[in-house]
Amino acid sequence: MIGVALATRDLVKRYGRRRALDGFTLAVPRGAMMGLVGANGAGKTTWMMAVAGFLRFASGTIDLLGRGPFDAKTHAGRFSILPQDSALPLEARPGELLYRYARMQGLSAEAARRSASEMLAAVNLADRARSSVRSLSHGMRMRVRLAQCFLGSPEVVLLDEPLNGLDPVEADRIRRFLRARRGKQTIVVSSHNLHDIETLCTHVAFVEKGRVARTATLEAITRAASRVTYTLAAKPTDMDALAAAVPGAAFTWTDETHALVCSFGESGEGVGAVNRKLLPVLLSQTDVLAVFSGLSLEQAYLGA
Amino acid sequence: MKSLFRIGQVALAECAGAVRSRRALVILVLYLLSAVFCMMGTITMLGKMEAELANVLQLPESEKTGVVSVTLWKSKPFQRMIKAGVKNDLVYNDIAGRHPAELVYAWFAFMCAPLLAVLVAGNRVADDLKSGAVRYAIVRVTRLEWTLGKYMGQILMVAIALAASAIGAWVVAVFRLSGIGTFELLPAMFVWGARAGLYALAWIGLALGVSHVTRSGSRATALGLVAVALCAAWPNILEYFAGKLDWPWLCHFDALVPSSAEMSLWRSSFVPLFTGGAHLLALGLAYLMLGHAVFARRDA
Repeated sequence: MIGVALATRDLVKRYGRRRALDGFTLAVPRGAMMGLVGANGAGKTTWMMAVAGFLRFASGTIDLLGRGPFDAKTHAGRFSILPQDSALPLEARPGELLYRYARMQGLSAEAARRSASEMLAAVNLADRARSSVRSLSHGMRMRVRLAQCFLGSPEVVLLDEPLNGLDPVEADRIRRFLRARRGKQTIVVSSHNLHDIETLCTHVAFVEKGRVARTATLEAITRAASRVTYTLAAKPTDMDALAAAVPGAAFTWTDETHALVCSFGESGEGVGAVNRKLLPVLLSQTDVLAVFSGLSLEQAYLGA
Repeated sequence: MKSLFRIGQVALAECAGAVRSRRALVILVLYLLSAVFCMMGTITMLGKMEAELANVLQLPESEKTGVVSVTLWKSKPFQRMIKAGVKNDLVYNDIAGRHPAELVYAWFAFMCAPLLAVLVAGNRVADDLKSGAVRYAIVRVTRLEWTLGKYMGQILMVAIALAASAIGAWVVAVFRLSGIGTFELLPAMFVWGARAGLYALAWIGLALGVSHVTRSGSRATALGLVAVALCAAWPNILEYFAGKLDWPWLCHFDALVPSSAEMSLWRSSFVPLFTGGAHLLALGLAYLMLGHAVFARRDA
């Protein structure tokens, strides 16, 4: 868990005059699940492609697992990627394709066979192992593409829009599958769905115009440990009583959403302690409909 | 060794994919049918010649083709005609005793090898570059290993096509020719198929090399056909400029195209076969590496 699995420094990629990456600097801690958040064309996909060695970059450095930029001889089996908009060979069959990929990355025949069937089962496609890729739906193909990423449990996995095109049931299955890998593998997820990032990731990086604008743990970005939002039936009648319950905390009431925000960053209190002190006071004045710690990632991103 | 293993894995994946691809299947079937129809056409022609000969000599016509033609083939006037056509005494000496059906198949296999290579292999790399399928492989193997694996896979694919055509042509020979020696033809046809396979090594390299420089499968095939046409015209181009500029040494550059080594593959002895095969493999790899050099420096 200690150390950096993947680091890029001042990475620049040009397409003509346009700089798709303009000094992209990011360090992904080992074992972290990092979410990349940014507008279309911010450089998330380009960064992933550069890390995987698909793109030639103009300047900057990449250090993957402490062994320099990607080199198949060094990193095969230790790194994998779900590239965006990259089709699988249409004539191939998922079972055979995954087996062959596993063999290419150095697994023995037995391990490759086992890994291929485990991954197909994990993405709920065990019954389609012998169908041709051509006959699979868009969502099924996406699941095969996801399965190939985890063959042989590589140390670093980059996922570009991994839940794109999946139905709700399968998206949930994949979310659970990814969550189970937290801490075991270093995973970077790029997604426009901030809820996915929020539920999956331990770290977040905001990407803007080819560079990282901000990176921190999800907790720090959403201020989950220093802010609680209470949705109430009505505005509390005695705000002074609240202030007295949590000394040093600041309270903000929003009429439109009936939300009371308690910020206690400097008080040193934990969320649990604040709730224990504040909830009895609030309940004595009104009904508490919901409690939410921190900002949503969307609020944090839009406010950033 | 690890590298060779990874190349082998890419080759197996490539061959499996190529065999299942509709386009390759159509080309394989067309090639097989061409071999069959070529053999049938030749045997029909032989049959007509035999009938004509029997008519001229006032002899009864034979029921099956081949009884007279083998004798005809061995006759001195016919052999002189063949010698003049081959224009190479060493090759003529090596093929003089062969069964005509065997040589008809050999002629077909050699003549169609460039076309077969371009049509089967021409789009394979370009299509993978366009679809992005290449990315799943090159995070596991190096780009060079991927290129060489593709080459090996396509060689396997062409070998399948040649073996199928040899069997197809042999079956026609068994049913349409006189029984004399037709069963011995099968191994001989496989040998000619293998020789055509050696010849195809260079053409597959050319087709795949060209396929590395574009992301459009149809454009890659078209460029491959243009390259084949250029190779066919190459000796004449050299001859023209050698004469015009008075640079006779220019003609040595005909070694840069596969046709320069073709005649070595018609020989029976090992040395010319080996040197010809090595020459063609070197050419195939050279064409392939030129294409790979472009691919290695570009975004995938």
